[in-house]
Amino acid sequence: MLKIEGLIAGYQHGSRVLDGVSLNVHRGEIVALMGRNGMGKTTLLRTITGHLFPTGGAISFDGKPIIGRPSHEIANLGIGYVPQGREIFSEFTTEENLLMGVIGKRHLPNRIPNWAYETFPVLRERRLQRAGSMSGGQQQQLAIMRALVGEPKLLLLDEPSEGIQPSIVQEIARTLRRTAQEKQLTVLLVEQNLDLVLGMASRSLFMENGRVVDEAPVEKIRLSSEFVEKYLSV
Amino acid sequence: MESLITFLLDASNFALALLLVTLGLIIIYGLMNVINMAHGEFFLLGAYCVVLIQNARLPFWCALLLAPVVLALVGLAVEELIIRHVYRRFIDSILATWGISLALKQIVIIVFGPTAQSIVSPIPSPVQILTVTYPAYRLFIMGFTVVLAGATFLFFYRTRIGLAIRGVIANRPMAASLGINTRFLDRSTFAIGAALAGVAGAVMAPIMSVDPQMGVGFLIPAFLSILVGGTGTLLGAVVGTAAISGTTTIVANTWSQVVAQIVVFTMAIIVIRLFPQGIMARRS
Repeated sequence: MLKIEGLIAGYQHGSRVLDGVSLNVHRGEIVALMGRNGMGKTTLLRTITGHLFPTGGAISFDGKPIIGRPSHEIANLGIGYVPQGREIFSEFTTEENLLMGVIGKRHLPNRIPNWAYETFPVLRERRLQRAGSMSGGQQQQLAIMRALVGEPKLLLLDEPSEGIQPSIVQEIARTLRRTAQEKQLTVLLVEQNLDLVLGMASRSLFMENGRVVDEAPVEKIRLSSEFVEKYLSV
Repeated sequence: MESLITFLLDASNFALALLLVTLGLIIIYGLMNVINMAHGEFFLLGAYCVVLIQNARLPFWCALLLAPVVLALVGLAVEELIIRHVYRRFIDSILATWGISLALKQIVIIVFGPTAQSIVSPIPSPVQILTVTYPAYRLFIMGFTVVLAGATFLFFYRTRIGLAIRGVIANRPMAASLGINTRFLDRSTFAIGAALAGVAGAVMAPIMSVDPQMGVGFLIPAFLSILVGGTGTLLGAVVGTAAISGTTTIVANTWSQVVAQIVVFTMAIIVIRLFPQGIMARRS
């Protein structure tokens, strides 16, 4: 579903934050992408979503090359993005934030589907509340649902556990896994939180210095501390 | 008493027309981070649409339709040919739009000449309000601008496309990642802003001296209104225009136009010093 080959990208001319990333995500899979800070995980997601133009390599989604397309077209092809730091519209209400997730989609009606509020009931309670005044966990649920109401085929999640209490992380993980199954959603999850990865993903890729250097099924990661020590501990 | 009523009516006239110009300016700035120095000339072109209509011996009211259409087209052309090349280059965009301003003004001088044009008032008869006789057309201006400003607010706060535009203003990359075509919104918003200035120019033409310099007379107070009110919300435009036009008319009536300018600029400087983000900015 998502195929990346030899991707090279950076913020200044000539810099290589991504130094030849290659990876494959299959339809219906939940794949984690782990690695220490500064290894290029967020940069990779920003490149897939069209916010950063790569200087080399190829990205194809559903068999179509997507490099060079503007972000809104990439979103309309079916790539949903939950960025690091959530990036919700803090001055907007919860409802308006969710509406933002549908009004840009050509094939969707301009209203919030019922299942959005059924999946995360707290969003219904806070429907008319200013999103910036909600807790971190609620904002994260909002950011995820804002992407999900756009009915993406592939969901890119960037550190959804960041700054959120563990109980809510578990709830988000459970809900996401269930929703992904129901909607046959493919997920690429960038995370450093091992619990979330073990609770959601089927396998994990490991990134180091701008490259995907290793991968393992979660059962193997659960049993052996080798991967965590090698790619995550500082 | 009589002079007070006349004064209040005059002041609201100016304030409401200024509000239309300011709304366009603030939307363009908020969305594209472009300070549009040519906005006064959009107002100017709107006023000259009235001259065109009058020369064609058509009824004045046609101008109120022609001006927004012409200015929306001018806005689209300016955006496509010039503005989009200077996005994210703040200083360049000031220079470029200033150039557009000069060019538009010169075109008007070439076509219509440098002298003032006289516009026949479309509703010449006065009306009686309480104890004063007041030009009926000025009342029409008030009603018209209130409705138009109200419609602009409804458009931005009650429609889906308005929500999308506010979303792009708040966080452009995120809005794009949700599938919102920011390029399309830039273009249409610039056209809407230009059309608002144009229709303001057209509706004000019968009570102003229509000459090639009239644009700057609205551009500067519109800028001051934005500085005072802040760029964060459209409500800032209302507060800003009320403050600027209120002060201008009060001081100009009591002392003179020159003193009014001094007072308004001083006030703007003080407000900027105390509220760098404008009065209406959210203090977090």
